[in-house]
Amino acid sequence: MTPERWQRVTAIFEAALQHDAHARSAYVIEACGDDRELRGEVEAMLASHYQASRFIEEPAVAVAARLVTNTTSDSLIGQTLAHYKVLSLLGRGGMGEVYLAEDTRLGRKVALKLLPDEFAGDAQRLARFRQEARTASALSHPNIVTIHEIGEADSVHFMTTEFVDGQSLRQYVSKKAIELSTALDVATQVASALAAAHDVGVVHRDIKPDNIMIRRDRLVKVLDFGLAKLAEGSDATGAPTNRLVNTEPGVVMGTANYMSPEQARGAEVDGRTDIWSLGVILYEMLTGRVPFEGDTPAEVFSRILQKEPLPVARYAPDAPEELQRIVTKSLSKDRDGRYQTIKDLLIDLQALRRRLDLKAELARTVQPDDGTIITANQQHTTVAETPQGTATTATHAPSSAEYIVGEVKRHKGAFLISVVAIVLAAAGIYLYSTLGSRQIKSLAVLPVANSTGDPNTDYLSEGLTESLIDNLTQLPDLQVKSLNSVMRYKGRETDAQAVGRELGVDAVVTGRMMQRDDGLVVSVEMVDVRDNSRIWGRRYDRKLSDLLAVQNEISREVLNKLRLRLTGEEEKRATKRYSENTEAYQLYLKGRYHWNRRAIDDLWKGIDNFQRAIQLDPNFALAWSGLADSYVAMVLGGPFAPTNRPPMPIAEVRTKWGAAARRAVDLDPELAEVHTSLGQGLEWLEWDLAGAEREYKRALELNPDYATAHQRYGVFLLTSGRKDEGLRELKRALELDPASLPINADLGSFYCGPLGMPDQGIEQLKKTIELAPDWPRAHFLLSNCYAEKGMWNEAIQEIQQVGVPGYVQRARMYAATGRRDEALKVIAEMKERSKQQYVAPITFAFIYVALDEKDLAFEYLEKGLADRTPLMRNLATAKGWDKLRSDPRFTDLLNRSGLNQK
Amino acid sequence: MTAATPKSITQLLVAWSEGDRTALDELMPLVHAELRRIARNYMRGERKGHTLQTTALINEAYLRLVDQKQVHWQNRAHFLAIASEMMRRILVDYARRRQSQKRGDGGVQVTLSEAAELVNERGPDLVALDEALLSLAKMDERRSKVVELRFFGGLSIEETAEVLNVSTTTIERDWTIAKAWLHMTLNRE
Repeated sequence: MTPERWQRVTAIFEAALQHDAHARSAYVIEACGDDRELRGEVEAMLASHYQASRFIEEPAVAVAARLVTNTTSDSLIGQTLAHYKVLSLLGRGGMGEVYLAEDTRLGRKVALKLLPDEFAGDAQRLARFRQEARTASALSHPNIVTIHEIGEADSVHFMTTEFVDGQSLRQYVSKKAIELSTALDVATQVASALAAAHDVGVVHRDIKPDNIMIRRDRLVKVLDFGLAKLAEGSDATGAPTNRLVNTEPGVVMGTANYMSPEQARGAEVDGRTDIWSLGVILYEMLTGRVPFEGDTPAEVFSRILQKEPLPVARYAPDAPEELQRIVTKSLSKDRDGRYQTIKDLLIDLQALRRRLDLKAELARTVQPDDGTIITANQQHTTVAETPQGTATTATHAPSSAEYIVGEVKRHKGAFLISVVAIVLAAAGIYLYSTLGSRQIKSLAVLPVANSTGDPNTDYLSEGLTESLIDNLTQLPDLQVKSLNSVMRYKGRETDAQAVGRELGVDAVVTGRMMQRDDGLVVSVEMVDVRDNSRIWGRRYDRKLSDLLAVQNEISREVLNKLRLRLTGEEEKRATKRYSENTEAYQLYLKGRYHWNRRAIDDLWKGIDNFQRAIQLDPNFALAWSGLADSYVAMVLGGPFAPTNRPPMPIAEVRTKWGAAARRAVDLDPELAEVHTSLGQGLEWLEWDLAGAEREYKRALELNPDYATAHQRYGVFLLTSGRKDEGLRELKRALELDPASLPINADLGSFYCGPLGMPDQGIEQLKKTIELAPDWPRAHFLLSNCYAEKGMWNEAIQEIQQVGVPGYVQRARMYAATGRRDEALKVIAEMKERSKQQYVAPITFAFIYVALDEKDLAFEYLEKGLADRTPLMRNLATAKGWDKLRSDPRFTDLLNRSGLNQK
Repeated sequence: MTAATPKSITQLLVAWSEGDRTALDELMPLVHAELRRIARNYMRGERKGHTLQTTALINEAYLRLVDQKQVHWQNRAHFLAIASEMMRRILVDYARRRQSQKRGDGGVQVTLSEAAELVNERGPDLVALDEALLSLAKMDERRSKVVELRFFGGLSIEETAEVLNVSTTTIERDWTIAKAWLHMTLNRE
């Protein structure tokens, strides 16, 4: 283009931009007249202009930075990084190079992978990667490569893993199909690795032959869990990932082939994306080619999204039909049409393998002259079973087959029937055993049926139900339906599976109680809802007086049964969590039960139980955490009920709680409970609000389903004046643990207090009382609610029900109804009492506020500040202080306390 | 990382700014380590208002690399112009080498992760953009310069206006036109 021509183009272009969008094209047509070429130029530029808003707005150095940071640094060989001596380059991938290195400390070979600076520089993303990678690695699954370290040295981020001496599947398959049995073997092992990872919520997202290593002994190792996620969403402009389709030309495309349709579209992915990728790999292993091919990534993506692959049989005529079905089901473009869990795929693969093995076996054994080799291929079939529970049945299955086969040889006529039987039996055993490793995440205990015919013993069956629920609720990672939600099934003949489905749980526990002479027979059964299989069942024949022991025994056995089903990491943690000492664990459960009731006497009992648990197992982190919780609770509640023993003095709580909480964190920093305990102490006893929030958040990160963490964090937020967030957290806590008394009560209490919704509060607290009419704390809080509304009669009535002095309520009532002298008498009573027992200074302050004695109120508040009275934590938001808030002394006090942080 | 001696870099820079084009070839390996450091810092600090940072980083790089006493910049505008041009040379050269490395290394498979990386690399292909800028310069020297300063030098509209000694409105208009044309040209090929 000549400069003159260019001038015309730009002049019209600029003038067009001055016009309104709708008038633009008319203008261009007019301005260009007959010069169609000119018009074409201008229109093309305008079109580009609309698309170019972000174009080159990001400076070149940013573009180059990404090039630079991903460049090979082959100079690393021979160098030492941290304590790793780099030996040679193993390979190069999108995420950086992988080297063979020697760990000079431990003298072992490791694989060292450099993490691109770009990713490593993003602390948050790196942390997420770390967590995912560790979670997968910590499973110690034989098919998942172990991560040794994720570290940084000389500002280079790296990861070291176990060095797998073998070939990648990529090298293995390179353009040719592999044997059917090998293909099935590899696929099964990969599926098994994925199943374990999915169980703990880790999706691989980048399953491809390069990430699958096959060791010389044919053990398969899956690499790079979590790494794909590190790369994801790294587009600095925030553009959606479907831009993947527009990759630049000139780039060799490899693994677009393994991406799922949802990845190709840039949509959110879940575990089913791994199922797709494994389907692609299976297809490739069988046929020697990938199902979706193309010269450019765009072509590959469009086939993934639109085309059905050619049948496996086209390239591998001998492949069994079942395999075609498995591949087709894995490669359903709609992920709802795919296998829904990797375990379902695993089951099919295993069943098929088993069937093929058996077929081969029978083919050999029925030949008259070759009847001796029966179990020849047993060895390789057991290479890659699922991690848990399968081992025993796996060895058992062939031996029963062996027996039957022996029989077949004696009665050749019955051969065919027997084959069918063997196949069914084997498939059944496999199905059962793989299901056996499925994790139970939620459970309902149905009301234990009372078949004694004597309604007077209802309390026994109900008590049994309740205690089972209570005990099981204490188990972390298990959601147990509340008593309320199961009570409607009482007295109904129900089908466990149907009820389980209705309640949306994985397993159902049912029970029946019968009376016999002076004894009691209790039979209990646990059923897996997903396949109606019986997980466990037992009959207890005991004396009536042993009922409590029976309850505990049942709980323990259910727990043990469930514990067996926890996988990998969880199981490993479980030993630490639950303590191997059953008695210690039981004591812990009892302790938690008492702690949950929050009354002073209960807290003392809780402390006693926790301490005894610790005596039996000093490394039992949860017991330490329960102990810390109980100490802290001692100073939070106040006497909600008459107590046999006064609460622990605050000074003592101060010296004890921290040691217990920190001990718990040291023992097992991965537990949500320990961080919650620490957070609560920091919040109420140290007034370290930032520290407390950090701990609560950490707890929720570790276990987003831990109701108490949501509760404590909710209380924290509400007390800090962050109402919306706080209410959300409390509601979430209630959702997770609808039967929890403290959570129900806290919600009610906050409705009355900072949330300013006393009617809702009253309703919520009444509901809580329905759950447990004799639980004093709910009455106490309800009394507060009534007082808030000026309903003094009701307020006093609730207090009387509990049987505590109710100083504040009474004094407030007198003050509000003009009986000042009476109010002052209450104060005198309190002073008398404080000679024997600690009465928090702010209790006085509360009453003086009600009496409008501001100076006196401030005097006591100052005292409270001086001893950092735990309950003063709510200074910033409690309604009781509203009358003082406009006073500059209050602002000053609040500032000095540091409690005004939001 | 290789420690570059400031003196040699300065001498090469002087030589280059005085018209010795071969100086750049010698300069490149020396500057590379520093560029890598800039890049890393850049990526770390990124996503929080990055545009302003680029000039600061370039300035910092020059201050670190160049012995100020030996280089006589006429003024700040001259410095920014030189810096931008140099940045362009370095970055384009860098991208070109990387491309050839990739092509020569035919066995390299692009992984999912790398495909994700390509999303980042998208936007301009620096080599193609450089070529397009050369064509633009033939028709329209100033607008080509605007892109060099803004995109390669990371200068703001105001700084660009200062270097070219025209108004900021002009620079804004130039920028719009140049962007549209470059976008069109790059997508046409």
